[in-house]
Formats: sequence, C-alpha cells, structure tokens
Amino acid sequence: MIKKNIHWLITLLAVGVLAVHIFILRGVMLFDWEIAIQDSCISTTLLCLSVWSIVLLIRAYPTTAAIFVYSLFIAALTGFVTTFIEIEALKEWVVKDHTLYKTWLTRTIPVRFIIILIFNGWMATTAALRKNLTGLETRFQQQADASVLLKEAELFKLRQQLQPHFLYNSLNSISALMMISPDKAQDMLGKLSDFLRSSVKRESEDTLPIKDELNYIQSYLDIESVRFGDRLQVLFELEDANAASLPPFLLQPILENAIKFGLYGKTGAVDIIIHIVLESNMLVITITNPYDPDMQPPRGTGFGLEGINRRLFLLYARTDLLETQKNDQYFTTILKIPQLHVQSNTDRR
Amino acid sequence: MYKVILIDDEPLARQMIRSLLGPYKQIEIVAECGDGFQGFKAIQEHNPDLIFLDIQMPRLNGFEMLELIENPPAVIFTTAFDEYALKAFEAHAIDYLLKPIIKDRFEKSMQKWLHQATVKEHPQVTALVENNIYEGYQHRIVVKDNGLIRIIPAQDIHYIEANDDYIKIVTKDGSYLKKNTLAHIETTLDPQHFVRVHRSYLIPVTQLLRIEPYEKESHIALLHCGAKILVSKSGMAKLKSILGW
Repeated sequence: MIKKNIHWLITLLAVGVLAVHIFILRGVMLFDWEIAIQDSCISTTLLCLSVWSIVLLIRAYPTTAAIFVYSLFIAALTGFVTTFIEIEALKEWVVKDHTLYKTWLTRTIPVRFIIILIFNGWMATTAALRKNLTGLETRFQQQADASVLLKEAELFKLRQQLQPHFLYNSLNSISALMMISPDKAQDMLGKLSDFLRSSVKRESEDTLPIKDELNYIQSYLDIESVRFGDRLQVLFELEDANAASLPPFLLQPILENAIKFGLYGKTGAVDIIIHIVLESNMLVITITNPYDPDMQPPRGTGFGLEGINRRLFLLYARTDLLETQKNDQYFTTILKIPQLHVQSNTDRR
Repeated sequence: MYKVILIDDEPLARQMIRSLLGPYKQIEIVAECGDGFQGFKAIQEHNPDLIFLDIQMPRLNGFEMLELIENPPAVIFTTAFDEYALKAFEAHAIDYLLKPIIKDRFEKSMQKWLHQATVKEHPQVTALVENNIYEGYQHRIVVKDNGLIRIIPAQDIHYIEANDDYIKIVTKDGSYLKKNTLAHIETTLDPQHFVRVHRSYLIPVTQLLRIEPYEKESHIALLHCGAKILVSKSGMAKLKSILGW
C-alpha cells in the first residue's frame, strides 16, 4: 500500500519541483517562456536522475554497516556531478546569446548546488533508513523462524520425557509374568503394545477428542494396575464433555504424577479421581489423589508438572492453565484447556 | 546360608527376583519390602548379607534408605535408570541390574557377589550414595532420630551447623544429628536457597532477619528463629550476590 503510494508521491514531487522552477523563472525573474521551460525541464530531469542513481547506489551497498556515512558521501558526490552537468547543459542549450540569463545562471550556481544537495541528502537518508529497516526485518524474521523451530523441538523433547522409565518398568513386569504366569504376560504385552501404538499415532496430532484421550489413559492405567496390583484405583467422572478436545500427552503425565505422588507417598491403596467438565469453552480436568503432607517429594519427581506448564505456555501463551491445591489428605491438579483455540487449530489444518 | 532382602515397590519385580534366586540353595530370602521405611527396619532386624534394592520407591527412596544405615550390606541395585546414572554405579564398582532384568545378567551378578562374599570383600556403597545421582536438588533431608526415621522438609530448616563428622540440622521441631559433611549437604540443596555463610554454617536465605557488622571483616546474621550466625567475608559476598545487594 505504502509502496504504491510512494511512487505517486515521487512523481507528484517531481512535477511540483518543475512547476515551482518554472514559476520562479517566469513569474519572479521574468525570463521568457522558452528559457523558463527549458531550464526547468533540464534541471528537474537531472535532479530526478541524480536521486535515482543515489537510490540505486545505496541499494547496491552490500551491508548496513556505516550506511549513513556512505549515503551522505554518495549524496554529496552526486550533488557535485549533477550541478556540474546541469550548468554545462544549460550553457550548451539554453544560454545562446542571452546575457542576462547567463549572468543569472552563474550567480545561481551555489543556490542550485544547495537545492540539489538538500534533495539528494534527503533521498539518501531515506533510502539508507529503508535498507536498514529491511535488514532488521529479515533478521527479525529469521529469529521468529528459529524460535518456531526451537519451540517444536522443545515440545518434542517434553513429549519424549515421559516414556523410558515407564517402558522399562513395564517390560520388567512382563518378564516377571513370563516366569510366573505366561497368560498374564501375554495380556500385559498386548496392553503395552496398544499403549505404544496409540502413542506413535498420536505423535502427529495437534489435538484429540477427549474420548480418544481417555481411551489412551485407560490403556496406560491398565498397565499401571498390573504393575502396582490392587493398590491403584482410578475413578472417572465425565460430565457432558464429549465435544471437547485437547492436545495429546498433557493428561497422561499429570496422571503419572498423581500416581507417583499417591503410590510413593503412601503404602496403602490409592484412589485417584478424574473429574472432567466442559465449562463455557473451557475444558476443566480435575485430578485428585491422596497424599501425605508430611512427605516431601524426593528429588526427580518435579519434572512432570513443570514440563506440562511449559507445554501449555508454548501452546496457548498462558501461564494460568495449570493449578495445584493441597490439603492434609488430597492433592488436586486442575488442568484447563481453552476450547476456542483448540477449535481454530483444527480448522486451520 | 546367606540372608537376602528384596526391596522393590512392585510386587511382580520382587516375585521375579525370588524366582531367579530359586536355584541358589545357599540363599535364604528373609524379608520382602515395598518401600524404604520397611527396608530400613528389615535390615536393622535381619542384618542381611545382600539386598536387592530398587531406587524409586514410596516414602523413602533407595539412596535415602542407604544413607541411614551405618554399615550397609552388599547391594545389587535393580533399576530402570538411564546411562548417566549408571556411570556413577560403574565408577564405584557397585553392581546393578537393569530392568527388564535378564536371567544371564542376573546370574553373572550373583556369581560376582558369591565370589566377593567368599573372599570377604565388597565395594563400599556409601561412596555411591555420596555422589549426587539424581539431577536437581533435594527438597528434604532424611535423618535418624532415636531409631526412628524423620524426613525434614527443606523449608523447615532453620540452619545447619558443622559438628566434627556430623552435621547438626536445626529445625522448628528441634535439632538432629546426621553423619555427613557440610560440604556434601551443601551440594545437594538448592544454592539459590541455602547459602554457606561460614565454614561451619549453612543457612536458608528465607531465615535471614538482619545482618550486623561484627569484628574486623566478619558479620553476624540474625535469623527469624533467634539464632545468631557468624558470617565470614566470603559468606557475606555470597549472600550479597544471591540477594542482589
């Protein structure tokens, strides 16, 4: 828009300069029309050429280092050259035997030079500024691209974080079952394969319907309950949230955390309650697990929630989507997923 | 007859080791435990020759449990740990079994241990415990208090004082002694929160009430609990950089 207008502006400016020039020669100095028009046309054309060459020269300048010094130097140089050519041209074609005009021309050389210099200087600084700006814009763009890549890499890494420990421990359970009860081992192997298969499939998805996510969670819980036996009980409370969707790999680490907190904080049975509700375009998932407030988590257990918080920030640019509360018996994690954003995400794809 | 204790929070994992130990007639499994507390008690009670120890466990993890035992028995760790941590094990010649546990590898470990047991030498597990295997800082310190295990949350600590081979941990509920050095405990706690203000003192910055000049180049720190702690010149510099003075 601005770029288109600027061409018109420059043409208009050139015409304006021409008009002012004619007016001064004809109206103020009272030369005849022939001289006024000839002088004005030559001067304005040369001025335009000079400005154009400045723009070309500055664009050709390879870096943005010391660009203002360079442009002012170019402006002064072209100013000298232009004034020289202008005077010579005028002497050649306009002067002839017009003595009054000749003396006037000689006297106005400094004024003409200053006018050309002002125009050139103005144009040179503008061009330099623009070049600088485009340089900045490219740099900015590059940085934006880099940060997108970085973000994707980080998201990938955060997703990966949850796998290995769980996988090795599950494989160990299978190995144990193979000696004790081969049927159960086969069953567990099937569950683990289901879990891994859906993990791989989900890797490519931005968001998933809540139903899919819950199926995935169920296959995860099936495995955990084989590992921990009767100690683990999980209750789902789903309130009319079927239309909702959420990014993959958010709920599972929170649940993993709840299980860890519950199982590692207490020795008895662990009841975990997952309550899911859709409230005015916000999917609210509340996970409650028992815990012992006297037990501080040992080191190494914190990554779960920190990783989730980081992912939520990268996905939604918000820091208020994950909350935790605790009283002397229960630890509650509240996860909120904005549905509008999720919706528009799916539309885009 | 050798006495063995299995400590793992997963019943299946214990059952597996029990089966693998079946052919070894010279071994008797005297106890199975599901967490570090039970493990600690069982070791005190049975004084076993060997323990199989998982690291991530409820309430008290494997390392914390070992810290509390004065003459720990021979240990074979059973773990799903990553390579990084395994280097620490290798460095101290401590045996470990990676989960999933493979029969061949298990038997090699047993052969090695049986050999060591006959020549009566086994690697010291305490050296490993003193290494920080976990990444990140401790949020708690485990101490023994009249035979009971007490877990002290880092935020309850008023200050820690060096006391020969021991450290004295002063909290709102009283003070506890632990066999450890101030230099070691300093590395396990968050340096943004705990500052070694003096050769003999480590304090949490949140406890700081006021600092007054003392003789020459040292200062006295007044804590919320009322204690007065000597602050050395270099301790003062550390405090300044953390508090941004």
